Amino acid sequence: MIRTMTLALGLAFCAGQAMAADRWDGADELPVHPLACDGAAGAAVAKPYDGGKAVNPPDKAGKPITLIDVPKLIGIGYFNATSKGIQLAAHELGNVTATTDGPTEAKIDEQIRFIDNAVTKGIDGVLFAANDPVAIAPVLKKALSKGIHVVGYDANSTPDAREWFVNQAEFNGIAKSMVDNMAREVGEDKAFAIVTSTFTTPNQARWISEMWAYAQQCHPKLHWLETVEAQEDNNLSFNQATALINKHGEKLAGLFGMTSVATPASAEAVTQAKLCGKVAVVGLATPNGMRPYVNSGCVKSVVLWNPVDLGYAAVYVMRAVVDGKLKPGATEVSAGKLGMLRVVNGSEILLGSPFVFTKANIGEFDF
Amino acid sequence: MSEGGGGDAPGGWPARLAGGWLARLAGGLPARLAGGLPARLAGGLPARLAATMRRLALRQEAVLGVILVLALVVLGHLSDRYLTAENLLNQGRLMTEVALIALPMTLVIVTGGIDLSVGSTLGLAAILLGVSWKKLGLPLEAAIGVALLSGAAAGFVNGWFITRMRVPPLIMTLTTLAFYRGLAEGISAAHSVRGYPDWFATLGQGEVAGVPSQLWLLLAMAVFCWVLLARTGFGRSVHAIGYNEVAVRFSAIPADRVKLLVYTLSGLSAGLAAWVFVSRVGTTRSDMGMGVELDAIAAVVMGGASICGGIGTIPGTVLGVVLIQLLKNGLALTGVKGDATIVVIGAVLIASVLFTNLVQLRGWRAR
Repeated sequence: MIRTMTLALGLAFCAGQAMAADRWDGADELPVHPLACDGAAGAAVAKPYDGGKAVNPPDKAGKPITLIDVPKLIGIGYFNATSKGIQLAAHELGNVTATTDGPTEAKIDEQIRFIDNAVTKGIDGVLFAANDPVAIAPVLKKALSKGIHVVGYDANSTPDAREWFVNQAEFNGIAKSMVDNMAREVGEDKAFAIVTSTFTTPNQARWISEMWAYAQQCHPKLHWLETVEAQEDNNLSFNQATALINKHGEKLAGLFGMTSVATPASAEAVTQAKLCGKVAVVGLATPNGMRPYVNSGCVKSVVLWNPVDLGYAAVYVMRAVVDGKLKPGATEVSAGKLGMLRVVNGSEILLGSPFVFTKANIGEFDF
Repeated sequence: MSEGGGGDAPGGWPARLAGGWLARLAGGLPARLAGGLPARLAGGLPARLAATMRRLALRQEAVLGVILVLALVVLGHLSDRYLTAENLLNQGRLMTEVALIALPMTLVIVTGGIDLSVGSTLGLAAILLGVSWKKLGLPLEAAIGVALLSGAAAGFVNGWFITRMRVPPLIMTLTTLAFYRGLAEGISAAHSVRGYPDWFATLGQGEVAGVPSQLWLLLAMAVFCWVLLARTGFGRSVHAIGYNEVAVRFSAIPADRVKLLVYTLSGLSAGLAAWVFVSRVGTTRSDMGMGVELDAIAAVVMGGASICGGIGTIPGTVLGVVLIQLLKNGLALTGVKGDATIVVIGAVLIASVLFTNLVQLRGWRAR
């Protein structure tokens, strides 16, 4: 017991040290790939196809296929939305039957069981959003070995365990959208602060790095004040945002919320300080969490992606794989109303630019 | 003793005493199910035979066996992929962790206790396995030892507080359910440990003599627990403590030591399950085993153990685990969705518990 606790304390202290001095606090030290300021697709880093391959799948080109969709969990707004997109695409295509079924909690063993049962039952394709990239790999490989096509969306597996992955947003794309929206709302030479979860949370750290890199390049006068940690705790986020408002006063023109908790809490802090219109809040969050603030006009842009489009694209990608239209080495794929989607990073399909929820469109979403 | 209660149930005084339909059901149903002639009408050998048959028919294991066979026949009829050696062995692989935990849980429940912390113990042991290997640089074999030892230690702590500090098992293990999970999350610092060498996957993903490796381990554990509970003085003490702990204390049986050992065994087994789990999925996460305590307890109770202690068998628990797993699998293969499957499992559980209660109530009436 004592050893365990010493270990816990030791690790807690070790974590979160060493920060690259020139980057914003809360950024990681991985290489950055900022997008061009005008949004032109940067020179794609050529990377050979690194996905897996279904072993001798039956030729069902143009023929009806049955798919199972196993999200991280069912019964939450986000995956209801992806499922809606999946049904939309299946309906549009006419020759796809898709069923969404999955665990009621985001548990790896439950998810594995669902996919395992689908594979045993016999099916043409598996769509998945992985609870763990490594844990899900064996069962996906089993599917591939039985000639079942496998396409992921939302949360990836190890590349060789699936054929393609529909990537909802790259870190640099989200970063560009965040910084662009902030610069547009507050002006190019104003100052802002960041409310994040912790400095070491992987996704947030990655986004902050890319935001830093993109701002250096495209909005160099935008002034970063500081980054504060607020876990993913509602109260703490609110308190931290309020502290930033009080500490920096007039200087503070904008707040970035890096989590779906920090963003609404920051909006609440700004609302309660009666600073709507003076301090802008731009952040990653879900429409449901942000609806009151967007409708009141206090928040103008909530950056995320559209999960309906994500599910929709996954079905089109699967159909293209079955029809032999999407093969290793391809550079783009047609996805119905979404148009042509780009292949990035070897075996990933990029959904497109992030989606910005505004007062005009937020009413259409429920997640 | 007389078995004549069946016929006079509606009018008999015990029914009126117990009052209402439940007691009437209790009087009528099991007797009719047991189907024997009233004992006083028969004499000699046939009577003894009839009594044996009745005892067998009333045994929870026999009831479960019948349900299991029924389920196998019906579901096997509905899906041709169900009753294949491949599928059944695969299901064995998937149920091993829960089974490993349910076996010693039977002993815990027979003492009249409960261990809610096993899922968190699994998570903690898994994290310690990963961290002591990857971060502390121990050889993987030693890290496995750390996982098993920490599991046993976690169980020992439960047992120590329960026996020495007289903390009720429900409260103690509810506390450590949160405490061990918190430790696991703290130590992991939200990072999963991956990249285990190939040999490590043998236990979780490999086969020995055509059977998933972990099933051999499970078999050994089942035999061990069965012998321990049904064939040793230790096992008799376990039963006795559950029946009447006060009496046990007056008869010079070291009740505290027995209970301490039982909880330690429960923790050790959770550590063992952690090893199997990590090996099966090839990754270590702090949320591993979340909620597994409920699956294990459900299986034990379905297996005929009384949550009040004193009653319970290892074969019953094994049947409970197998039945739940094969029901989940079979329903999935016949196209029943995940949420509906949970409902069916719940219904079977209630039915089986109800049946046990009716039998016990009837036993009381017959006395």
